[in-house]
Amino acid sequence: MAVALGSVLALTATACGDDGSGSGDKGSEGSGKGRIVFWDNNGGVRTDVWKQIIADFEKANPDVDVEYVGIASTEYQSKVDTAIQGGGLPDVGGVGAAMLAGFSAQDALEPLDGRLAKSSLNGLLNKDMLTSLKAAGGRDGRLYSVPTSANNGVLYYRTDLFQKAGLQAPTTWDAFFTAAEKLTNAGRNEFGYTIRGGAGSIAQALDAMYGQSGITSFWNGDRTTVNDPANVAALEKYAGLYKKATPAADVNNDFTKMVAQWDSGTIGMLNHNLGSYQDHVKAFGAAKFRGIPQPTRPDGKRVQVSNPVDGLGLFKSSRNKEAAWKFIEFAASRAENSKFNESAGQVPANTQAAQDPWVQKSEPTKLAAAALSDGSTTIVQLPYYLPDWNTISKADNEPNFQKVLLGKMSAKKFLDTLAEQLNEAQAEWKRQG
Amino acid sequence: MITEEATQAAPAPVRATPEPPRPATRHRAWDEVPRWHVYLPLSVYLVFTLVPFYWIVLFALRPAGSTSLVPWPVTFDHFEKVWTERSFGTYFQNSVLVGLCTLVLTTLVALAGGYALARFDFKVKRGFLLALLCSQFVPGALLLVPLFEIFAKLQLINSLGSVILAETVFQLPLSMILLSNFIKNVPYSLEEAAWVDGCNRLTAFRIVVLPLLRPGLIAVGSFAFVHSWNHFLFALMFLNNQDKQTIPVGLNTLMSADSVDLGALAAGGIIAAVPVVLVFAFIQKWLITGFSAGAVKG
Repeated sequence: MAVALGSVLALTATACGDDGSGSGDKGSEGSGKGRIVFWDNNGGVRTDVWKQIIADFEKANPDVDVEYVGIASTEYQSKVDTAIQGGGLPDVGGVGAAMLAGFSAQDALEPLDGRLAKSSLNGLLNKDMLTSLKAAGGRDGRLYSVPTSANNGVLYYRTDLFQKAGLQAPTTWDAFFTAAEKLTNAGRNEFGYTIRGGAGSIAQALDAMYGQSGITSFWNGDRTTVNDPANVAALEKYAGLYKKATPAADVNNDFTKMVAQWDSGTIGMLNHNLGSYQDHVKAFGAAKFRGIPQPTRPDGKRVQVSNPVDGLGLFKSSRNKEAAWKFIEFAASRAENSKFNESAGQVPANTQAAQDPWVQKSEPTKLAAAALSDGSTTIVQLPYYLPDWNTISKADNEPNFQKVLLGKMSAKKFLDTLAEQLNEAQAEWKRQG
Repeated sequence: MITEEATQAAPAPVRATPEPPRPATRHRAWDEVPRWHVYLPLSVYLVFTLVPFYWIVLFALRPAGSTSLVPWPVTFDHFEKVWTERSFGTYFQNSVLVGLCTLVLTTLVALAGGYALARFDFKVKRGFLLALLCSQFVPGALLLVPLFEIFAKLQLINSLGSVILAETVFQLPLSMILLSNFIKNVPYSLEEAAWVDGCNRLTAFRIVVLPLLRPGLIAVGSFAFVHSWNHFLFALMFLNNQDKQTIPVGLNTLMSADSVDLGALAAGGIIAAVPVVLVFAFIQKWLITGFSAGAVKG
């Protein structure tokens, strides 16, 4: 029956021809009025703040209606990919650096440089975030997503446990490793650190490696630096924390388990990003922990890997690009960008919004914003532009990282394998260029 | 065309044979086994199985930020939050609608198709059965793009109709095969007797065959309901508006890219699980009978 009905419907669809909603459709400017559809790439917890922004927009632009569709972050890419192939793309969608290469490679996004140049936003958006999104968009150097916010790696630590143990804040890597060891008492189920061994482990491991080694570029010519001997030594030290200063269950930790474990237990430190700050406040109250940027090297240098910048893209198939751009412009304006980032706990892309009082009051955001803009931190740009980046940094190598933690693979072999895949992907990307 | 089997005379009534007495040794063996040999492993297994459920209940009922191992003081804040703030009330209604419509459509079509497969012989019957079987090997994800295009042409995107249709179509092959085996097990002579008494085929089927199919109908219906209740992919892909989404999609949105409200997630999980648990609790007896009887080779 499935086959029969499927065949009948497929024939019907073929007979109807293309409605032009899939990729390849150039869309149109439209009248600047009417209805537009917006897909949120992190629907759920951010739904309320987006609905407020949409209400503000509709009040300021009574002739435009915005239909909000919240999609869970884990499913966003597959939903957009299906719509690119099958039709039904929205007018505006959340497009972060990690997904940008894939969408722009399918020619689904409208270049926004021209619109931004004529916009009141011109000159007000964080330059580093713009650069990051331009780099992530592919080889043509054009802007396909207007930045709204940046996340940043944060080292959360329990001030009460540190005080009790007479430890200094883990602002350097040496202090970090010392604290991880001293706060551990496995017999009493107390641990200094919780390591990410499951989904998302590679980016966190890269952060720890480059942070310790001080290597400031992901590439040395066309060869990656991930398997540089300094990085190998750094990874050996970092992975060596597993089971010595962390729970054994960490080998399967994705961020959910890792954060839940830190929030409910007696673990001294956790590496995550600004996004989980409110969860920790709920668990401990703001007084029992701090969130600081990644530790520095003995020479005082801080090196960290880039975190994906989030933004808003205009889909090429939109029939109402003028209204869609109005919405993007409005959402990235000072007041709305500030509102969004205060709710999300992230660093605003609008430089005026980044000066707002709430940023100064939220310590992790303030420190992250400072680290990203005051020149104290060198950012190693991860190659989000590689179409294979997500596969290489997740499915292909996360199981190997678990083997490293379990002592079944050496850090060197793991990094050599990773480097080989990255070098190949980079060469392929260059060949296609 | 009526099958050859159908034209044969009805078999003579079979007397129920008395159940042979159980061997005495079996009773003795059971009596001699110390109870703890049975109950201890069962208890360990039960604890192992139920601990994750206890964990969900614990997170759902204890206040946010609590690390207590017992849900005390009990709070229903998480349930209130997901039901009202996170629209689980709406998701629940949509899931019930999708589940019930899939159940009714699947059962009705599978009943008609199953009857045809059981009682009639036609040229492409073997090929049709093979196609039904092969359709089970095609994963839903593979058909997403074509289905998306088809539903877009039919203007069913963002309509619960698309999910109901897709779920029904994917449920039908197995349901039809199961019900056809059930119908084969009902002696054809019973229907013939009803015809002799003046019934037409439809009336004979309704009065004589249908009541005997109860375990099969319950098995097929409940399977269709539970599958569509839990299914995530079609609802995610074919529905956009929040007021159209179903429970599994709603549960997914409780986990953001970098933050999870575990209390809300646990409460949402319980809301999602309760109907399925209740369905299985009520139909367990018929379900087992249904699947075992439907599994008999026809």
